[in-house]
Amino acid sequence: MLDEFYSIAQSINNNYIENEKAHGKPCIGYTCSYFPEEILHSFGIIPYRIKGLNVHSLQVADAAFGPFICSHPKCLLQHFADGDYSFLDGIIVTPGCDSMRRIDECIRKTAVNLDLPIVPPFFFHYAVPHKITEYSIKWLVDELSRCIEHIEKHFGLSFSMEKLKSSISFYNKLRKLWEELNALRLHEPPLLSGADATAVFVAGLSMPRDSYHEKLSQFIKHYSGQEYNNRKRLMLIGSANDDVDFIKIVEGDYAVVVADTLCYGPRLEVDYANEQDEPLRALAVRYLNHSHCPRMYGGYRQRLAKVVDAIQKANVEGVVLQNIRFCDLHGAENGLLERDLEKMGIPCLRLEREYGPLADYERLRMRIDAFIERLDARRVVCDRH
Amino acid sequence: MRQALKEYNFDWMLWRTYMAGSRLKKGTQGEFELALQYIPYFRQPVEQVYKAKAGELFLKMTAQYLENIVNAHAQGKKTCMTTFCFSPAILYALDIVPVMLELLTVMMTFLYKRGTGEFLDFCNEAGFTETSCSSQRGSMGAYLADISAQIDMVVTDSSGVCDTNSNAFSFFAAYKDKPFFQLNMPPWLVEQRVTEYHVQDYKALVSFFEEHSGKKLDYDKLKSILQELHKQDELITELEYYLTYKPLPLPVTTCLFIYAGRFMFAGMPIYTQLLETLVAEGRENLKLIQNGQVINKEKARGFFCYIDHYTHSLRLWKMLEELNIGYSGNILSHFFAESNPVSKLESNKGVGYTIKTDTLEDMLVSIAAINSRMPMIKSIRGPYDLPYMWLQDTLALAHMYKADFIVYNGTPGCRNTWGMVKLLAQDTEKAGFPTHIMYADAFDDRVQSWDATRDRFEEFLRVRRLI
Repeated sequence: MLDEFYSIAQSINNNYIENEKAHGKPCIGYTCSYFPEEILHSFGIIPYRIKGLNVHSLQVADAAFGPFICSHPKCLLQHFADGDYSFLDGIIVTPGCDSMRRIDECIRKTAVNLDLPIVPPFFFHYAVPHKITEYSIKWLVDELSRCIEHIEKHFGLSFSMEKLKSSISFYNKLRKLWEELNALRLHEPPLLSGADATAVFVAGLSMPRDSYHEKLSQFIKHYSGQEYNNRKRLMLIGSANDDVDFIKIVEGDYAVVVADTLCYGPRLEVDYANEQDEPLRALAVRYLNHSHCPRMYGGYRQRLAKVVDAIQKANVEGVVLQNIRFCDLHGAENGLLERDLEKMGIPCLRLEREYGPLADYERLRMRIDAFIERLDARRVVCDRH
Repeated sequence: MRQALKEYNFDWMLWRTYMAGSRLKKGTQGEFELALQYIPYFRQPVEQVYKAKAGELFLKMTAQYLENIVNAHAQGKKTCMTTFCFSPAILYALDIVPVMLELLTVMMTFLYKRGTGEFLDFCNEAGFTETSCSSQRGSMGAYLADISAQIDMVVTDSSGVCDTNSNAFSFFAAYKDKPFFQLNMPPWLVEQRVTEYHVQDYKALVSFFEEHSGKKLDYDKLKSILQELHKQDELITELEYYLTYKPLPLPVTTCLFIYAGRFMFAGMPIYTQLLETLVAEGRENLKLIQNGQVINKEKARGFFCYIDHYTHSLRLWKMLEELNIGYSGNILSHFFAESNPVSKLESNKGVGYTIKTDTLEDMLVSIAAINSRMPMIKSIRGPYDLPYMWLQDTLALAHMYKADFIVYNGTPGCRNTWGMVKLLAQDTEKAGFPTHIMYADAFDDRVQSWDATRDRFEEFLRVRRLI
């Protein structure tokens, strides 16, 4: 079953989506973890977290985006231009960060300039505030209502508050399963590698959620676990990553990623939506409070506290702080984390990388190996004392 | 960072330099020329600024701004690190001293041949990213290194508009453990719920200021500042009319004075004085032009759709003069008061703000509207081709100023505009404006030397047969 998760995580489209679409279910892609999938699920729409992996050229993306832009949204755009996302019936663009928000214009204008039919029929710009206050929660509730109205109008579907409640409940159950899955990584020794966990999480963002829930339950039930002995326990922090191969590079033969804060993963801790609250408000509160991303300015101390808590729970020996070049948000936050974690005696490695094709595989491998040697040396010194 | 750079506080050093510069013309012309011989590194920027009648006042105003920062704590005032696109009027009403990073960066790059290179690099040493915008990093390095006045609080209003801007202030606040507040900007502008959001956010900001300054907002003072701001808006409106004339009846640096002054002293009498001087010069020159006198030769006119190039000696403005290029405005010089011709353009219908001072609520609504229409905040908050956004503004202004071409100049740190500028340029070309994208860094010559920048600019003008 793990192989199937890998296969789904490492490809753009899959049979599950094709089958459900054949039965008339639309599929909507979205670009940011601050969009609540529950809304789409309640309509019976397949939510799809847009990925950028396996791009072989950036010909179109480089022509639309400027040169000083993160390579992740460039890869997304290239996939659209190559027709790989033709199965999407819609897209929801969020100003998650400045690079990603411009995918809005880049898709629309590329379609016009190159005369390509790449703009999904449903196109929605979803504005998420950068802070948590009563009025920003209200703003987000309004945005969710606006999104619902647009979906109803475009797809001719009816919104039901009862269905949304049950979708919220369904996603909370899914989060519970993720928590169980994550617990396997916290074991001493870990029973699940970071790459395997990423494959399972990313697959979950790429297939109909009901089928995924079933598969994940079965997987957890039958998973006997593989012990990763004598490996350094690492935590991985920073820019978005949907690429299992990148986690494999970090882990190599001597380490295992036991915790992470990555955008396509479950992040530090699984936070649940309040099922007792009014549903739209519950979603707005849950997603705004899901403030693991440095786009939520001024929240560094809270994020640091969560990182430290995760380090302790997972008994992390070293932290890899990575950012995609031009990802200023994670790049800057990594600088703060490096300073504060090192002060606490937690070794850190700061890496800048490109997203996508593993052009700098050897450089990354060498730096991570050197970091692991540093951890070894540290252990020897600690043992002596 | 070189030890020499740590000998004097960054802002103190700038203050003394600008103060000296502002006094150079106090004597005779002969004494001025003699003095220039003794300041070889500073003579070019000084000469360029003094070409305008308002030059002396501009230098005096800049020195005053720096003096306020340096002496804030001694005078019992709090300091607030903030950004150029945040209107400082509210800070003056609360007696808080604004410390605008981008302005301070430019104050240094104009004068020092090395620019702010070492402060830029110090930010990286402190852990900040080298890919972030150099406009903040240039001076933030000095504040991170503690060779400056102390900062009491940090405020930005670019969240939702510019990540690298918000991120810089957020980083500084976390690094130095200072109180932080951000105003959020939704991606749209003219909607009731957006206006409501701005007002609520602004009220929360006032509470933040009151909490961290220990002072209550003085509404009478705010009222008089807003009234002064209204007067300034009227003067800018008059200047806008002069700036549409060909040839330009004002010095090429006028637009710089308008926006830099507004960023420093919105609502303060010293800025009104500067604008009055510019208006008087415009009126006088216009009369001369109408009487057939040649004031400026103008071969072509450019519209800078983003920002200017600020490295040493105001070389951008010098080059424009040498090439006889008229230059009327950029994205920074527009504030969208209702009376301004820019707000009266069809594409900006309903955008202009009005200043009402009848009630407290009126004042807060007005100031929130002013702030949400500040340069950059207004135009690049949403998709660039939506109503009221960058493309519309660029085309409308280029037409209004009778521009022959459009130039984009920014910094490699500007994630927002680099995400769409190629598309914008395609649209402006389609609209008939030859468009040049500069790949330089407006605040850091190390990215692309000025010579290379100038060569490419001139090549563009020649190839497109503009000169």
